[in-house]
Amino acid sequence: MATIPSPHTFRGGIHPAYNKALAAAEPIRELPLPARLTVPMSQHLGAPAKPAVKVGDTVAGGQLIAEAGGFISAPVHAPAAGKVVALEETLTASGRSCAAVVIETASEQVWQPLPTFPEWRFTTAKQLIDHIGTAGVVGMGGAGFPTRVKLSPPSDKPIDTVILNGAECEPYLTADHRMMLEHAAEIRIGAEIIRHILGARTLRVAIEDNKPDAIAAMEKVFQDMDGDVAVTVLHTSYPQGSEKQQIFSVTGREVPRGGLPMDVGCVVENVSTAFAVFDAVVNGRPLVRRVITVTGDAIAQPANLLAPCGTLYSDLVAACGGVAGRAAKVISGGPMMGFAVSSLAVPTGKTASGLLLLSPKKITGFTSQACIACGRCVDACPMRLSPAELSQCIEADDIDGAEQIALMDCIECGSCAFVCPARRPLVHHMRRGKAAVMARRAAAKKTP
Amino acid sequence: MEYLLLIISAILVNNFVLSRFLGICPFLGVSKKISTALGMSGAVIFVITIASAVTWCLQTYLLVPLGLDKFLQTLSFILVIAALVQLIDIVMKRFAPPLHAALGIFLPLITTNCAVLGVAVLNMKEGYGLLKSVLFGFAAAVGFSFALLIFTGLREKIERAAPPRCFKGVAISLVTAGLLSLAFMGFSGLVK
Amino acid sequence: MDPITTSTLCVGGIGLASAAALAVAEKYLSVPQDPRIGKVTEILPGANCGGCGYAGCADYARAIVVDNAECNLCAPGGAACAQAIASFLGRAAAAMERRVAIVLCCGDDTEALRRAAYNGIADCAAAQATAGGDKGCTYGCLGYGSCARVCPVNAIRIANGIAKVDKALCIACGKCVAACPRKLIKLVPAAAEIHVLCSSKDKGPAVKKVCGTGCIGCRICTKLADGAINMDGFLAVVDYAKPLTNEETVAKCPGHCIRKDPPASVQPPTPRS
Repeated sequence: MATIPSPHTFRGGIHPAYNKALAAAEPIRELPLPARLTVPMSQHLGAPAKPAVKVGDTVAGGQLIAEAGGFISAPVHAPAAGKVVALEETLTASGRSCAAVVIETASEQVWQPLPTFPEWRFTTAKQLIDHIGTAGVVGMGGAGFPTRVKLSPPSDKPIDTVILNGAECEPYLTADHRMMLEHAAEIRIGAEIIRHILGARTLRVAIEDNKPDAIAAMEKVFQDMDGDVAVTVLHTSYPQGSEKQQIFSVTGREVPRGGLPMDVGCVVENVSTAFAVFDAVVNGRPLVRRVITVTGDAIAQPANLLAPCGTLYSDLVAACGGVAGRAAKVISGGPMMGFAVSSLAVPTGKTASGLLLLSPKKITGFTSQACIACGRCVDACPMRLSPAELSQCIEADDIDGAEQIALMDCIECGSCAFVCPARRPLVHHMRRGKAAVMARRAAAKKTP
Repeated sequence: MEYLLLIISAILVNNFVLSRFLGICPFLGVSKKISTALGMSGAVIFVITIASAVTWCLQTYLLVPLGLDKFLQTLSFILVIAALVQLIDIVMKRFAPPLHAALGIFLPLITTNCAVLGVAVLNMKEGYGLLKSVLFGFAAAVGFSFALLIFTGLREKIERAAPPRCFKGVAISLVTAGLLSLAFMGFSGLVK
Repeated sequence: MDPITTSTLCVGGIGLASAAALAVAEKYLSVPQDPRIGKVTEILPGANCGGCGYAGCADYARAIVVDNAECNLCAPGGAACAQAIASFLGRAAAAMERRVAIVLCCGDDTEALRRAAYNGIADCAAAQATAGGDKGCTYGCLGYGSCARVCPVNAIRIANGIAKVDKALCIACGKCVAACPRKLIKLVPAAAEIHVLCSSKDKGPAVKKVCGTGCIGCRICTKLADGAINMDGFLAVVDYAKPLTNEETVAKCPGHCIRKDPPASVQPPTPRS
């Protein structure tokens, strides 16, 4: 086992102020069970889960309350025991509504575990994958891609490298950092299970160099793991945590345009996902809770809370001492790729890893101007696109022109908008352009 | 060798649009889209090359023997060029209707385009033989197309770039054309 | 021969030769075009708005003459134009009444609340894509002007945060209908004067929380309208196929969302090209 500096680094990227000191030293604290949980049906990428309970049903903690809605989907389990009081629409962080199961938690908690696989080394990959799917494990880095699907690449795409994503490049967020410090051993077992399932030989634990304590902690537990294992120290840069960029930094392989990591023989999993895999396989625990960093300069006591899915943001804020001063902006996720929310009545899910409350001092409203063709965005774009030209095309409603210069390759990381001196809302343009392209494709499919 | 120099001179050094300022009308009128500009370039190359050949023959075999070249040159050249362009109009309508519709009014305007007449008259002034006339005509038209295509590319980008309101449209295009012309001045001295 | 005769013969000769060549070319290479297409193009208003579904007036004229398309697809031309084309071609024309666009929302910034400060592209689709828009009501007009920008005759104005169509200028080309991300704009008969200016499908209390002038689903109007207003869940919807003249519907609506327009002319406006 070696600690190696990353052999490459991706072109572009930015270096925002990290502001992680606010919460980095806070150990993970378990949130006292809220009285009510609004468990969303859509906590993952793909079709929403279909409720399997009715109003009035009593559920145990860990019990299945919604079935997967399709192949790319995941089941949802009750985070705690209680009674189902409603099946209603709830607001989500992205502004859309989705169905939710509202559970009033009971004072006496009952837990219903799933089967465990203590001898997972001798269990077939298929059994483990099915179990992970039944446990509702999804990617906890933000996208929520069902892990069961990610760990079942087609047979013509062999995987030789598993990368554990401990980069956490978003400013303010420290959830993964604390997980690596406090649950390193469990993460290691989760990583081993993933490697075993994929039949890969190589494992790389990728951590940015601004987290030396996490690097040390992971080094210690991965010390005696067999095979080609190493901790890769990444050059701190945003978006180092983005899959494609990380694969390049760690292995030097470039994921082809429109392709997936499995096209270059890699699978990237977040450290929290690895923990969830361990929890599911060894402890028989479905994914029902996660660590969320509640931080920002408008929250009284920043913390890393272990909260059950379905906790409302208002409960999280109350558990951290409430708002300090005035919160001008509340962001679900990180400041670069998170969603600004207009209400705290939004429930947490499996994917959102942060809640930021920012005071007016930290917010600037801006008026944007025409592009001055300075090229800073071209320098910053980690996908090597030309955001200046793309935004000009989209502003002029030339969606076809934008598609021709690789609009759909944009990962919406926000590096371009961060550096733009003309303060152009570049990511907004990209999203608008992409929505127009998708609408066109959908309309084209409909007409014969 | 002198043919090569002739060609380079016509395309770059004494570019018909950017140095001699002939053929500005289609240069500004057809430079909105690359596909239209390409079509126009093709038409102009065809017309000028054939016009050079035909006018040379006309001058050498009809006008000079009859001693009419001093005063009938312009009139007869225009007549022949007009007929040629009309012929191309008919051919294009038959074989490439979308291009014909896209070029619209600018196709017949090649007739009154001073570039075509300019090439024909310059050929006579320089006293070129038939081969040289045709080559010079071809090169002049290629130079025109070159300038037109560059300018179209620039204009397509400028359309999107939202210039200040007072410059929007033709204003910024003319400024750009001026700057392009300045840029081409860099070629002067390339061929003596 | 003296120069004058020589020149005349020379130029004359060139002219005749060219004419002959062109005549031959015309005979063998010409493309026959129905002269009626040109005449129909002249009858059409020439706005090139695309409202008929074809790429401009010339294309529509070609479709009418060659493909037997309907004569009454031109909204700016209206009934007069459809009649003229039909009589020119010797066909019967279907009846046509003038339509205009209308924005079914009256919740401007005085009455409807905005739940967040939106700082982004001033475009309705873009605002809608950002957390579902900054308006409290998820059905109402966002007022960032996407419809006004696509209107070829500048008939839409944004006043106090919502869009309003000027009936006198509207040519019913339908571009605004397609541009609205919340599908608020409808094409209705120009003669209709009473409209329910609300599209919110929320229940009454939920509507009142976010807008002072929304439809609360009280159904008072359905009783007064004699079948011309029906309920779609909690939203009152006018059925424009039936006549609606009872002004009590306007007076008695507790949400004040039923409004009466001043009468518009039935003749379409002269289109400016």
